[in-house]
Amino acid sequence: MFTKFKRDRVTLFLDPNVKQEPFIFEKKEKVDIILSPSLYWVKKLKLPLNSAREVKKLLPSIFEDSIPEARYSYAAYKSEDEYFVFAYEDKKIFDLLAQKEISYANVASVHFAQSEFVAFESAIRINEKQCMYIKDELLVLAPSEWIQDKETLDMRNLNLSNHTIKLEQFGHIVNKSTLYKIGVILVLLALIFIVEIFIASAKKAQIIESKEKIFAKHNLQPTMFQNRATLEKYTKINAQQQKIREYISYFLGMKLGATEKIALIEYKNALLQVTISDVSKESSKSITKSLDDKKAQYKLTMSGTNMKLEMKI
Amino acid sequence: MNQINPLHIGALLGALLLFLLFTLSGIKAELEEERILYLESEKLAVELHSLKDAYADKKKSMSALERVLAQNIFKSAELEIKKEKNSLKVVSKSINMKSLNALMAKILNASYNIKELQIKKLSESRASLEMEIQW
Repeated sequence: MFTKFKRDRVTLFLDPNVKQEPFIFEKKEKVDIILSPSLYWVKKLKLPLNSAREVKKLLPSIFEDSIPEARYSYAAYKSEDEYFVFAYEDKKIFDLLAQKEISYANVASVHFAQSEFVAFESAIRINEKQCMYIKDELLVLAPSEWIQDKETLDMRNLNLSNHTIKLEQFGHIVNKSTLYKIGVILVLLALIFIVEIFIASAKKAQIIESKEKIFAKHNLQPTMFQNRATLEKYTKINAQQQKIREYISYFLGMKLGATEKIALIEYKNALLQVTISDVSKESSKSITKSLDDKKAQYKLTMSGTNMKLEMKI
Repeated sequence: MNQINPLHIGALLGALLLFLLFTLSGIKAELEEERILYLESEKLAVELHSLKDAYADKKKSMSALERVLAQNIFKSAELEIKKEKNSLKVVSKSINMKSLNALMAKILNASYNIKELQIKKLSESRASLEMEIQW
């Protein structure tokens, strides 16, 4: 049975065994759902505990051996000195809501029939084959044929209790504790990354500052490109000057034969020219050999006994 | 009472993590780049400083050279010194071999930027000298 009653908010009795067509109501209307006893398991217990929250922790083990295996959610509330405890399958309820074309977004609250019909003295017919009635304070289902006096379900004067449950829409995908654990790990990772980003940024700023200090201290040009070009220029000058010194020192200190004389040493436009006069053949070979040993690139011109060496530096 | 799908939250957190990872790797790459640039700057600064000190410090080179040329040993060579904006030219029409060797030893053992040099033998004991040092 699936019945609509005129209220500020619509109250619907959700039962899986109603064979009639789904009730059509305004899609935007907010609904309070009362779950049929077919959708949950209930027990009444006397427990030496102070709160329903503490009781809830024990419910998986309390229901463990008495109900079929499935993924259950649990609820409990206290009535006088006893606890009413429930086990229900969120997915089963969601499937039924979907079947009835009710969006969970429009569900304002979900109640157990147990908490809402506890004051009813007579049996109530909830679908074609079943009715429910109170037995030892528990709302139980029974075949309609068993009970003669039964009323039809009427919720017009029903005041809903504040015993509600919150369905776990995605409980079948991942359970809460796993979700929290994964969430905590992901959040921790995110925090680690954020801290690392801050540390790396701070280090980068520090390096940039140190670099600027070096630039200021050594009076470097604003860009590395300019500085590299300047360094290249002076490195080239240094290499060239070292070569010049090496070769001029070599020629000035060179052992020559008695008649041999250095007539000219000239360096201009990166070309070193050395002219040695009165050079004998043997001496010529000795000079070129020592230049070859130095792996010097040179051009040799003999004009009579005058030896002219040209070296590109 | 609609709830958010935990898979959507997971996907959002995953996307956030990927974004953070991407940002972190970008910053780390920039940090490494800056570190390399800093080391290069440090090395370049030291090298450039020593090279400029040797070849581009006009004041220092000029005074060192003037001290060398003012020595008594070079008085007989009648050295002609021409100062230009970025260079100094030393000319001697006739310098004896001893003075020439002494001068060349001092020039070649220091770090001057020799732009031009000409040593021409005049006789057994004398030569002419032209030398330009640049900054």
